[in-house]
Amino acid sequence: MFRSPKSGALTVAFLCFASPALVAGPLGIGETATPEMIAGWDIDIRPDGRGLPPGEGSVADGEGLYEAKCASCHGLFGEGAGRWPILAGGEGTLDTAHPEKTVGSYWPYASTLWDYIHRAMPYPAPQSLTDDEVYAITAYVLYLNDIVEDDFVLNQETFQEVKMPNEPNFYIDDRPDVVNTRCMSQCADASTFEIVTTINGVTPTAHFKEDSGVAANHYGNEAATAEATKVALSDAAVAGKSIYAKACNVCHGAGVAGAPVTGDAAAWSERIAQGMATLNKHAIEGYVGKNGVMPAKGGNMALADEEVANAVAFMVESSQ
Amino acid sequence: MSSIRIKAKERAGVVDVKALMKHPMETGLRKDKDGNKIPPHFIQEVVAESNGAVVFSGSFNTSISKDPYLSFQYGGKKGDKLTLSWTDNQGQKDAETVDVG
Ligand code: HEC
Ligand code: HEC
Repeated sequence: MFRSPKSGALTVAFLCFASPALVAGPLGIGETATPEMIAGWDIDIRPDGRGLPPGEGSVADGEGLYEAKCASCHGLFGEGAGRWPILAGGEGTLDTAHPEKTVGSYWPYASTLWDYIHRAMPYPAPQSLTDDEVYAITAYVLYLNDIVEDDFVLNQETFQEVKMPNEPNFYIDDRPDVVNTRCMSQCADASTFEIVTTINGVTPTAHFKEDSGVAANHYGNEAATAEATKVALSDAAVAGKSIYAKACNVCHGAGVAGAPVTGDAAAWSERIAQGMATLNKHAIEGYVGKNGVMPAKGGNMALADEEVANAVAFMVESSQ
Repeated sequence: MSSIRIKAKERAGVVDVKALMKHPMETGLRKDKDGNKIPPHFIQEVVAESNGAVVFSGSFNTSISKDPYLSFQYGGKKGDKLTLSWTDNQGQKDAETVDVG
């Protein structure tokens, strides 16, 4: 095979970087993923239950866990607190003018529920639940949707008994005109096509326009953030801003679960009067106050104490 | 399965009750897809009793939305039996009893 001197040199360079025992593939870079590495990523659960780990949890166990970790947003009965997503109800509404898509009314497979809770919930602390906890909470959400009885215990075997009410409405599209076979010969000339109609106004854009008088982001605290950036922030607060956006805004942006809204000076004055040491302690260790529960580090235990303190500095300086 | 879900928890002598009643709460003013009026079907009476004594009662009507959510407090203690029941304009009824926790 012909090789220019240049590509020869490149090959040598690659070999210097990658240890020969680990090289994978034709380029000789990277390393072969071990079964353990793959297991860390391969967490999807299939409709037939493949992927479910060993373990189990009952509706009764799920009740307490759900009330502690989920009800503040999704409501005690899955009815949704404020504008947070509803998880139950909506049966029989799918073909009406106001369809309510919930786990019970819409989702075709219970596997998605297990997977979603395991992967993404609780919102402020995803993947913090044990497998048994996910089984129990999944069972409880199914119970809230009247899909299982109150003595149900969910595990790999009983998963097979769970039938979601809307499953039959998911099927391979049987309309004749949806099979898009690519034209390979004697095809129509695209330059002769005429656009007969276009659809406009489907995506609401008003709230992204300046001067529209509507908050410019979805968190509803644009005014607060805009105000905050005008104030000269300390170095700590500047460092804390992105941490705040990542870990704290979910509650403190709009006042979810009783959290004092960042930028609302009235809500913060008494709190600030306690002194930074107390505020930091409360934010790092968590506490139960008059308004609700402030989870330790906002539920994000991966944050260093200093990062949380920086976020507190940002919140305090934005709320004076 | 009962149409009623109740959570009743006592703290310092006050029982905090939260309940959800599954009910269509049709006003009688809506039309279905074919333009026919959907008959009225709504809860008219809700009663909560603790150990047999009425602690809450209410007259509901069509201004209350589907699957009504109810929250109230009364003086009581752990272990009390709390029964919540509803009766609708079509004479249907349901009731559910829980132990105050
Ligand atoms: C801080 C608020 C919050 C908490 C607490 C929370 N969630 Fe969520 N949940 C959300 C938000 C926001 C979404 C929508 C996310 C999206 O669409 O990207 C969601 C979506 C969901 C959905 C999908 C709903 C649908 O129909 O698409 C399920 C199921 C769910 N959460 C379950 C749970 C469970 C179980 C817990 C407790 C372990 C929990 N959530 C805790 C905010 C929260
Ligand atoms: C799940 C919702 C939630 C998240 C996420 C959250 N908080 Fe809070 N936080 C609360 C609630 C609720 C309170 C009010 C508690 C009370 O006083 O009743 C609070 C209060 C506070 C206070 C005031 C303490 C005091 O003594 O008055 C500080 C400071 C604070 N949070 C910092 C943070 C920081 C920093 C983060 C991100 C790392 C964060 N919070 C994330 C819910 C949350």
